[in-house]
Amino acid sequence: MLDKYEESKVLAGGQSLVALMKLRLASPKYVVDITRIPGLSYVKEEGGKLLIGALTTHDAVENSPLIRQKCPILSEAASRIGDQQIRNRGTIAGTLCHADPSADVPTAFLALGGEVVAVGPGGERVIRASDFFVDFFTTALNPNEVVREVRVPVLPPKTGSAYVKHARREGDFAIVAVAAIVTLDEYGLCKSASIALGSVGPTPLRAVEVEKALVGKKLTDDVIVAASELADRGISPPSDIHGSAEYRAEMAKVFTKRALRLALSRIGG
Amino acid sequence: MAEAILSKEIPVLRKWVGTPIKAKEALRLITGGGRFVDDIKIPGMLYAALLRSPYAHAKIKRIDTSKAEKLPGVVAIVTQEDVLKWCKPYPQIVPPPADKLLDYPIAVGKVRFAGEPVAAVAATDRAIAEDACELIEVEYEPLPPVLDAEEALKPDAPLVHEEVGTNLVWHEVFDYGDVDKAFAEADKVISLKLHHHRYGGAPTETHAVVADYDKGTGVLTIYCNNQMPMFCMALIGLSFNFPTDKIRIITPDIGGGFGSKILSYTYMMLISILALKAGRAVKWMEDRREYLAAGTHCNEATFYVEAAVKKDGTILGIKARTLHDVGAYLRYEPVGALLWIQVSSGPYRFKNLRMDVNAVVTNKGPVAPIRGYGRIQHLWMLERTVEQVARQLGLDPVEVKLKNYIRPEEMPYVTPSGATYDSGDYLTALKKALQMIKYEEWKKKQKELWEQGRYIGIGAALFQDSGTNNFAQVRLIYKNNPFSGQSRMAEMWMDEFGRIIVAVGSNPHGQCHETVVSQVVADVFGVTPDDVFVVPGFDSWVHGWTGHSGSYASQFAVSGIGAVLGAAKRLREKIATIAAHMLKAKPEELEFKDGKVWVKGTDRAVAFWQVANLAYRNVLELPEGVEPGLRVIYSWKAPFKLPDLEKKTVNATLTYSYQAHACVVEVDPETGKVKILDYAVVDDCGVPINPAVVEGQVHGSTMNGIAAALFEEYVYSKDGQLLSSTFMDYLFPTTLEIPDIKVDHMITPSPFTELGTKGVGEGSLVPLGAIAGAIEDALSPLGVVITDSHNPPERIYRMIREAQKRK
Amino acid sequence: MVEKRKIKLKVNGVEMEGEAEPRTLLVHFIRDTLGLTGTHIGCDTGHCGCCTIIMNGVSVKSCMILAYQAEGAEILTVEGLAKDGKLHPIQEAFWENHALQCGYCTPGQIMSTFFLLSRNPKPTEEEIRRGLEGNYCRCTGYVNIVKAVKAAAEKMAKGGS
Repeated sequence: MLDKYEESKVLAGGQSLVALMKLRLASPKYVVDITRIPGLSYVKEEGGKLLIGALTTHDAVENSPLIRQKCPILSEAASRIGDQQIRNRGTIAGTLCHADPSADVPTAFLALGGEVVAVGPGGERVIRASDFFVDFFTTALNPNEVVREVRVPVLPPKTGSAYVKHARREGDFAIVAVAAIVTLDEYGLCKSASIALGSVGPTPLRAVEVEKALVGKKLTDDVIVAASELADRGISPPSDIHGSAEYRAEMAKVFTKRALRLALSRIGG
Repeated sequence: MAEAILSKEIPVLRKWVGTPIKAKEALRLITGGGRFVDDIKIPGMLYAALLRSPYAHAKIKRIDTSKAEKLPGVVAIVTQEDVLKWCKPYPQIVPPPADKLLDYPIAVGKVRFAGEPVAAVAATDRAIAEDACELIEVEYEPLPPVLDAEEALKPDAPLVHEEVGTNLVWHEVFDYGDVDKAFAEADKVISLKLHHHRYGGAPTETHAVVADYDKGTGVLTIYCNNQMPMFCMALIGLSFNFPTDKIRIITPDIGGGFGSKILSYTYMMLISILALKAGRAVKWMEDRREYLAAGTHCNEATFYVEAAVKKDGTILGIKARTLHDVGAYLRYEPVGALLWIQVSSGPYRFKNLRMDVNAVVTNKGPVAPIRGYGRIQHLWMLERTVEQVARQLGLDPVEVKLKNYIRPEEMPYVTPSGATYDSGDYLTALKKALQMIKYEEWKKKQKELWEQGRYIGIGAALFQDSGTNNFAQVRLIYKNNPFSGQSRMAEMWMDEFGRIIVAVGSNPHGQCHETVVSQVVADVFGVTPDDVFVVPGFDSWVHGWTGHSGSYASQFAVSGIGAVLGAAKRLREKIATIAAHMLKAKPEELEFKDGKVWVKGTDRAVAFWQVANLAYRNVLELPEGVEPGLRVIYSWKAPFKLPDLEKKTVNATLTYSYQAHACVVEVDPETGKVKILDYAVVDDCGVPINPAVVEGQVHGSTMNGIAAALFEEYVYSKDGQLLSSTFMDYLFPTTLEIPDIKVDHMITPSPFTELGTKGVGEGSLVPLGAIAGAIEDALSPLGVVITDSHNPPERIYRMIREAQKRK
Repeated sequence: MVEKRKIKLKVNGVEMEGEAEPRTLLVHFIRDTLGLTGTHIGCDTGHCGCCTIIMNGVSVKSCMILAYQAEGAEILTVEGLAKDGKLHPIQEAFWENHALQCGYCTPGQIMSTFFLLSRNPKPTEEEIRRGLEGNYCRCTGYVNIVKAVKAAAEKMAKGGS
């Protein structure tokens, strides 16, 4: 259908697209409503991953026992979106494809190293999170592709995760947001660290320097604080009335530190 | 707590006044039965959309509507040509040269703020009207905008109104007492530059108008949600080339106003012109984006303050030079730059005050009488000044305030400006509020918390809510202004079945007038509030009104109720005269109870309907000299005087409610974010007619103040674009941002009103003072001084960083 | 000519139908075509929640949904709460607790409360505030609204609807 109707946009929950259309910032000639396609709302576990149907709402993601247990950072990020009515309608594929760098789920998704399954006339393909976000509101999808499933890893044992957001109001888009996932090895040293920052550039970004400064080390508070100082490396945050670029850069450090402390405190068995 | 003063003239039962009964109007509102302007449908009605200027300042070179006119569904388009045929410029209340300022319902020749209407389209639906707006071609020649009051006063500044020749549209100096002597005697002089920011009322319902012209009768009916449309008739009547006797104004339910729904007369006229051109009724509902840009802002003010003080904290005198940035048009201004006169010394007793007041136009949205109009800016300035006096003298801000407060025994108190405070006990109120947030306990813990790196502070402020205003105050702006006093009209009648009906010329928007009027009238007639029907909404052909009618300036409990009481007494008197005749008794021997008129101490009575039967149907049995019917009108007038133009004094407002707020905040030093840990209010509005209604107002105005202090601000870009243009960026707080608000009450009745009531609707946004003080207290180890009324995280963050660098 | 399509849906228990264009918003369809004006419009960006209704069992902002998307849906608006002249406990609780003043945001507040209590019959104050985060109010400061929701929960636990 997307091929047949030129200048068309996919419409699911509409919490992003309808908003843009009302402001006349987007005026697609056609919208293709996919909300009636059956069987696209589910959460299941398979092969060490959680498979989430494209039309699964944020509310369902927030409250899914499977996600809460096995990939809690995704539930945490979804719980911070907007408000109850928006979470009742907005979908996981919708927010990923809208690709707003200040949105909650894309940042967590990047930290998780998730994948999307894209379907087009030519067939299916899997796109990794690190390849998915290309620019402001731009993904690697072709105009005639639709996401049918989102996949995130089941977090391994000895892993703690946290999604923290600095915003003027609770449900607002972030001034800066941090998704942090740390896993310890059997000696208590940091085996892996994945930290993604939101609202620091045209897409969510991995804080690679911070990660490098954590891996292989014992995560004392000093180590965390020192590593967090590197959070502003390679970012190009925007300036707007809620935060200048300089402020956002400083907040990236503060919230990386807070996310890491929180993630660490949550490491169970 | 003082005993309330009872009306001495008529024995009022007081069974209902003072009780928190459920609001009558709520029943239709909780079932979706409210009737708001956008719910109104008229056969053949069209829908309007407005094209607005994208530029803050530009000449309009050419408007071409030809493409838009061809769009199927478009019926009429109005531009400056049409408006010039229908309108004379609005009159201004300032002296020359600014009285030449040209102001119309639409931009004429020039646009002066981003969002100013340039064209209006009527079409068969709103979406088509918006499509048509996109097809209207406007050629602009952009001009440099001026976006700051101080910039606007520079000699080379672009002129917002060339016809005025300056951006300084009003300047006046008010000198009270002996300011120079005060400063000569001072131990210390404190100087501050302060800035009160721009924010707005933001009711959930935006402006809306339905204009319906009936060709047969020649009557133009304007449905709108203006909160004082009969005041606006002065401007409409002097500007609109349409016979005023054939203009009928109706306001149905109104979804909040907060002062921003006063100046919509421009839209009332614009949509009427569109309806007249289209030959069909036209409905217009404002978008939120339109509202934020043009739906009126509060006065933005810069203050240069100096305070002369003794080292024990006694305030001897204050000098302030104020710059009010009023946006692109005056409209109600410069009244907002004058209204400090109602609360000239705030709650304090210093007698020496010099105010050098300047009103300046800029290329920003026009301002309006937003909640607390003109007083909150001044009271906030005073509170900041007094707190800095304390800090710079090494004294406790609370102690300095208590020391300088007017004492209750000094009431009624005549302030330097001639405004008289009726009653109040500020010391008790502040102390009570501090008790409610456990002030002493926090003070003890505070040092320890600072050492732990936690910045927790306590702030307390008391602002007055001056109510029932004297319009003569505008003669201090220009002596020729033909306005004075305050008045209200109410009409009341008993139908032939004994039912009581009241029509008051107010335009309620959440103040529950139907309920409080019913309570007052029930007490006069000895019935229940359910036996009194208050005609909902407002209709200029049904409800009595004067040029002061409306709901604004914290006064219904005084002025509206004054008119209602007057009408009730008149009607009661007539009924008593007829009943006395029927019962062969004297009117003084009668009492009204349970829907009947009784001879006191007997079982002889007549029912209301029996009296009404004589008055309406059985008129030959009326006593001699009594006219048929049971319908009365009463007009209430406040006991004001004209100002003293030489001394520049005026008794500007009749009553003074006040609120003392105390709060505990924690400032996150790493982010600058402020969290409210505890919030308490002590409210005194004299005798409350309905305590639940009053408490609701207190909650709402507190939320308004917290919103202004921490969340809401209209921010402009360097080229005059409003950046906080939707609710994404204009941060209306949600349930998660507003804490629980504890409220306690005091009652010091007003000696100037019949029931001891005082108006309470505005509430004065005291959080502006309390929160600024609390943040400053929290950061006092760093020596941070709060000089802005709005403190978002980044501003606080920068102040903390700079202070830390200084150390 | 602009495409118009007839859509059928169940509103407050009654089968209804009406015409809409592709770009018609559900809130306009409910208000202008179906004539149910209790649901209100307060903003352009899906923030204020004045347009909140229940659609297929969950609270949604009807201004953020295209009318066509509601084809075949089951919708509950504020007009559908009172039964045979008897107010719903949530409506009673709002009234008794003075949880409204101008009443413009009230239908949205009531519908969000309906959804909250349908999922969580005994919410804490924090859960109440979180549940109503998407419903702005300018008049009440939210204090009495929170009180009303607590009261409604108690009424419904005792055996309201």
